[in-house]
Amino acid sequence: MSSIRKTIITNCEKNFLIKNLSEWTRLDGRAFNEFRNVEIEFGKDWGCCKVSLGKTMVISQVSCELQQPKSSRPNEGVLNINLELNPMAEPSFEAGRQSDLSSQLNRLLEKCIKDSKAVDLESLCVKVNEKAWAFRVDINVLNHEGNILDCASIAALSSLAHFRRPDVTCDGEEYKIHNVKQRDPIPTVIHHYPVCITYAIVKEGEYILADPTLLEEGVAEAFLTIGLNAYKELCGLHLGGNAHLTTKAILETSNKAAKRAVDLVQLIKEAVEIDTNERLTMKSLGFHNTLDKQISDVHVDELGKYLDHWTMDKIKRNPKKNQKVTTPMEETESTEEESEEDKSMDVSQEKVESITNLGDGTAKLDISTAQHEWITIESDEESEKEDDVIIVEPKVETLSIDSNSEEEQVLVLNPVQRSAAKKKKKKKKKNIIS
Amino acid sequence: MEVIESFENNLNLKCKLQVLSRADGSAMFSEGQTVVLSAIYGPVEVKMQKLLIEKASVESVFKPKSGLPGVSDRYKEYLIKNICETALASALYPRTAVLVNLQEMQNQGQLISCAINAVCLACLDSGIDMKFLFGAVSYFLTKEEELTLTPPINESSVKAMFVFVFNNTKGDVIASHTEGRFSIDQYKTALDICRDEVKKVFIFFKETLLDT
Repeated sequence: MSSIRKTIITNCEKNFLIKNLSEWTRLDGRAFNEFRNVEIEFGKDWGCCKVSLGKTMVISQVSCELQQPKSSRPNEGVLNINLELNPMAEPSFEAGRQSDLSSQLNRLLEKCIKDSKAVDLESLCVKVNEKAWAFRVDINVLNHEGNILDCASIAALSSLAHFRRPDVTCDGEEYKIHNVKQRDPIPTVIHHYPVCITYAIVKEGEYILADPTLLEEGVAEAFLTIGLNAYKELCGLHLGGNAHLTTKAILETSNKAAKRAVDLVQLIKEAVEIDTNERLTMKSLGFHNTLDKQISDVHVDELGKYLDHWTMDKIKRNPKKNQKVTTPMEETESTEEESEEDKSMDVSQEKVESITNLGDGTAKLDISTAQHEWITIESDEESEKEDDVIIVEPKVETLSIDSNSEEEQVLVLNPVQRSAAKKKKKKKKKNIIS
Repeated sequence: MEVIESFENNLNLKCKLQVLSRADGSAMFSEGQTVVLSAIYGPVEVKMQKLLIEKASVESVFKPKSGLPGVSDRYKEYLIKNICETALASALYPRTAVLVNLQEMQNQGQLISCAINAVCLACLDSGIDMKFLFGAVSYFLTKEEELTLTPPINESSVKAMFVFVFNNTKGDVIASHTEGRFSIDQYKTALDICRDEVKKVFIFFKETLLDT
């Protein structure tokens, strides 16, 4: 059975990443022990949530069914966790087919959540040896940008905490499931929240990276997954791949993970509480409501991470956009140009910050007078171009200290031109619409 | 029989493009309270057994929110695959595959039309060549013989459901799907109303693209 091949990570990428790590930087600007942002969004139905960890995204849904309990455990309900790797997340994943990766992830999730007895299964029993609730957590991966497991474990827990099962009554023989309107649905009892926290181990344990991205996952030799709850109790530990890790390193990492676990559990609990409170006020909730929320300019934010001295002043720009509505078109164009010039001045006047290392993972930011500055080039010819990035040869001769140093190139990123181009486009569009 | 929905009634469409970073084109589309996420990869490398010499092969996957995919999901995949095969200029990409992925996010009755519209927006987002746009509209016939655009809150009061897919060039029907029992007259009325209503869908497509 042939399938679509996985994208191979090139040696150049690997070397580049490792070289960066040796300079204590990660490609997305995070610290080694820094995690990506977690966002939890609930759907309209009970127990449905979409969780994104950075760009990795999963959707989770809990469903329930009345079943005969297992004969080995007659007074307990059943919990099944099912993680699906969709071709939506990555084309090399096959729909409805168990791969090594998916069975491993499923097992790890099960180990973390099911085997640690996070959900009170006894409360799911309706009548001993006759009827009990069977819960099924379906997790669909929507976007694979590394570290599916952490994202899935957060999703599974938040949807379980959010889920409410319908009430059931029994009159002798018949079991009657009441719908939501007849009787209030019952929330699930969750003893503790065990989250998975994954670390990638690169270069034989030299670098331990929290929350690896797709590229980092590809370069890593091994993964250390730690299942932890808010009480710093270990609920699962898995070291996959081959790397020489000392016990000390594992202990240190799990201590760091414990801190993260506390934060994550707090986040999940808060998100669930906010949502249930909003539901009580009879608000219409769901993905359809959050859809038209504008996404922040992700690319610009990302750029900001790499360029310390280049800041987009969004707050300043917004009021001017509002003014545009009130004033006629021709006037605004001129005022905008002026304001943009002001901003470009701001950019060039910005002071350079130097970072002094205070040791032990802390650093201090010092603002000193500029030595190196981003050059902003403003000529009429170039402002007409729509290019965002312009590479300019240095006008001043560079002092080459190393004999083998290559010719330096200065990257000039001109936010002004970019925004000008955008605005021009928008205006064109508006004309089209009108 | 009477038509209770006025033409001013909004379909309540919402959309967000480029939701996913991996896919070539992706769109989260909502119609009323139904939300579908769709992602397009393509043209990409094709599996050997699905290789077509003269055109791109279209594969579609529909994932329900909970449970394993069943027969009805297979049906949706098949419907969407057929629509994409007619709408995409697949002859331009021989020996390749176009993967159309769909994920149900929230279902309030208009799942099929919502999925089809989401696919069209994802195709537009990915920039793949298309012969025409396609838009779908659902229409419901309640037990009281009333025709409505918005799905009734009580699912059991639906007697029949129609989904019509039109192209934007001539306004022809390129796919139709019905569930339940209805008369020929009702079908014709539904078709006429949907044909008018789909124009709003196309306007919405245009507006979304202009906004981004």
